[in-house]
Amino acid sequence: MASSSLAQHRAIPIILGASTIIGAFVVLEVLLRMGVVNKYVVPLPSQVVMALERIIVEENIFGRMRETAYEMVVSCVMVIVLGVPIGSLLYRWRSLRSAVLDWIAAMAAAPLVLAFPLFLVMFGRSPTTVIVMSVITGLAPIIIKTTEGLLGVRPVLINVGRSLKLTDAQMFRMILLPAALPTIFSGIRLSWTFVLISVVGIEFLINLGGLGQLINDLSERYDLPGTYGAIGFVILVSVAFFMILERVETWLRPAK
Amino acid sequence: MAATGQVKTPTATMGWAKSGRGSSRSTNMIRAGIFFGMAISWEALSRSGLLFRDVVPSLFSIWASIWKLVASPVFYANLQVTAWEIFASLAIGSGLGITVGIILGANRFLGAAYEPYVYYIAPTPRIIFFPVMIMWFGVGVASKIALGALSCFFTVALSTAGGMREVDKVLIRVGRSFRATPWQMATKIYLPAMRTPVLNGIRLGFGTATVTCLLAETKLSNQGLGYMIMQIYARFDMPSLYGLLIIVFIIAGVGNLILGKVTGTSA
Amino acid sequence: MTLATSAASDAASGVQPQLVIDRVTKQFGEGPGSVLAIDDMSFNVMPGEFVSVIGPSGCGKSTLFNIIGGLLDEYAGDVLIERERIAGPHKAVGMVFQEESTFPWRNVIDNVAFPLELLGVNKSERLDLAHHFIDLVGLKGFEKLMPSALSGGMRQRVSIARTLVSKPQILLMDEPFAALDEQTRLLLGDKITQIQQDLNQTTLLITHNLTEAVQLSDRIVVMTYRPGKVKRIVDIKLPRPRTSDVVSSDAFGHYVAEIWSDLREEATRGMVDSESAQRGGSRG
Repeated sequence: MASSSLAQHRAIPIILGASTIIGAFVVLEVLLRMGVVNKYVVPLPSQVVMALERIIVEENIFGRMRETAYEMVVSCVMVIVLGVPIGSLLYRWRSLRSAVLDWIAAMAAAPLVLAFPLFLVMFGRSPTTVIVMSVITGLAPIIIKTTEGLLGVRPVLINVGRSLKLTDAQMFRMILLPAALPTIFSGIRLSWTFVLISVVGIEFLINLGGLGQLINDLSERYDLPGTYGAIGFVILVSVAFFMILERVETWLRPAK
Repeated sequence: MAATGQVKTPTATMGWAKSGRGSSRSTNMIRAGIFFGMAISWEALSRSGLLFRDVVPSLFSIWASIWKLVASPVFYANLQVTAWEIFASLAIGSGLGITVGIILGANRFLGAAYEPYVYYIAPTPRIIFFPVMIMWFGVGVASKIALGALSCFFTVALSTAGGMREVDKVLIRVGRSFRATPWQMATKIYLPAMRTPVLNGIRLGFGTATVTCLLAETKLSNQGLGYMIMQIYARFDMPSLYGLLIIVFIIAGVGNLILGKVTGTSA
Repeated sequence: MTLATSAASDAASGVQPQLVIDRVTKQFGEGPGSVLAIDDMSFNVMPGEFVSVIGPSGCGKSTLFNIIGGLLDEYAGDVLIERERIAGPHKAVGMVFQEESTFPWRNVIDNVAFPLELLGVNKSERLDLAHHFIDLVGLKGFEKLMPSALSGGMRQRVSIARTLVSKPQILLMDEPFAALDEQTRLLLGDKITQIQQDLNQTTLLITHNLTEAVQLSDRIVVMTYRPGKVKRIVDIKLPRPRTSDVVSSDAFGHYVAEIWSDLREEATRGMVDSESAQRGGSRG
């Protein structure tokens, strides 16, 4: 009863959630200071907060973020440039679609990132490796969602286009694409999420460039507060990225 | 590390892809055409000498390397380690995920307070937690299991919580109208109604745990298939690298397919 | 007024009503934002009688359904079964819902046997009873099919059988045919009439469908639109046994016209209300 009336105020659960997180850090701080938890495994939360300044100034985290952002932007654009046309092609050619769509769905579920050593051989430890690998990981969802979105366009809208004698190109540009856009964008959101995971992950794995490498460096130096701080920073950046994508997606969805 | 928090759509898409499936003869012809077309161009490229030696190795050498790998005891020793890691991650991650998912799904207040954290952290690149896991659990198998379990947890927790909330309200009213006891409500209404989303979460969790464990092995380990990949990479033995990757993809695919069949969710 | 006379005649004949709705009122929320869904409704249902409650969409019919079914247990006034006030689902009441409510993970027979399973009836007995009621709703031969393999009308019959198997004294249905097409609706109506007469089943049907109400009922309670009150109670003196053929009779048309003149006013008010709400919504 009490909780149901509490739940009516939206702010209260949010405050509870946030205060639980803060509370957990405080408890951790106390336990660490009391020596209950090993300081050489978990740093003091206060130290982590202090380390943020060091990460920003000495480790040039914003410069690294730019490197990651560059790889992100190139990969994200590539994913759309390749994915949407391929998805449209599959919509157009029914026989091709029935032949390869299962393969693409399997691709979406396969641990493709594991192939990064291959690209390491081809392109060396360079941003190209990161980008190529990320594009490959991110491609499947956008293809699938583009085809799905186009197939889901209500037949009556297509008939409207036919009755107005639109050319194929007009039909695609003025009817199919706008009608499928919300679905296509949810594919973009998925793909870009895959891309982010892949970019940061490969940077970390092959020790190259941006934010992923920073975490690797700091942990190899056994800089505990720095490592935790950098991980926290990357998590925050990713969460901000997802939130923005989600906003855009709900904004694109027709109100209903 | 690939498909994780984005759990919902891959499933939806796969369900949809099914409807587009037509195993008619023409479909198979096109498939065969694409397959052989790619194989022939690959082989031609490999023999043309246009690219740096071995970047595109001959299909025959890849085929030979696959057989060599499958015949070697080293492969099975590593497979066993990786399989154990994945199994343990899946068991721990799903157990925790289902528990937390039920709590978040059953109580609107707790769900509103804590689920956003699970939801938004789920799709972050979990591999970056690996250094922390090494500090906590050492460089051995345990740190991979911990990381795999962590990845799997988010996927399973989210789909369980979602499944719990999406239990058709009218079915709950039916249960109440027949005066079902709380225990009967749990076992005869909620449990069967949530079966599909939970099992689907576990299937997706398997995918996540697999990628995560393998990637962690490529980063730092002395056994497992991920370690084996990096060893082969260090020798620049390209045919074997292709061969092993193909084997790993097939194993992961078959695992996913089997789980899909067992759980009755589309794979 | 109608109530007083009918209650008096009941008392005279010595038959106790099976269900008494006495000055039931339900208000959602408090203060200026509150909605008075049901305002002081009273009527009785006699044993073996088929009563329909009819009213326009949004008149609080479903609220009444939930109160009688015990799913909404905070209300003013009394709903009485054998002098016991309803608070929580009562074992004498069997509910059939408007929405698709079969369990998708159980086949037809296991769906129907569900209430018996809750009561701990042993397996062979429960299957026997379930078979009997599946037969009664005309689904013999479909026992092993899953609901997904059935049509909407068949699934609704499964729901009805599932409720009947628990042998409720009062069958309470909320727009059970709302999702079905007109022909299926008429035929299912026949089925319901026949079952009701075979079992002498006391039935309370909530509906917004006029022909359906006249086709099936002994008495019709017409509700007003927001707040829901009893506008009028009409006795339907069409001959029994009845079939859907009755819809072509003169008497039927007469009843429909009579009730429609009452209902029309309420429905119009409802329509104006929802239109202005939409206009307000699109503006804001």
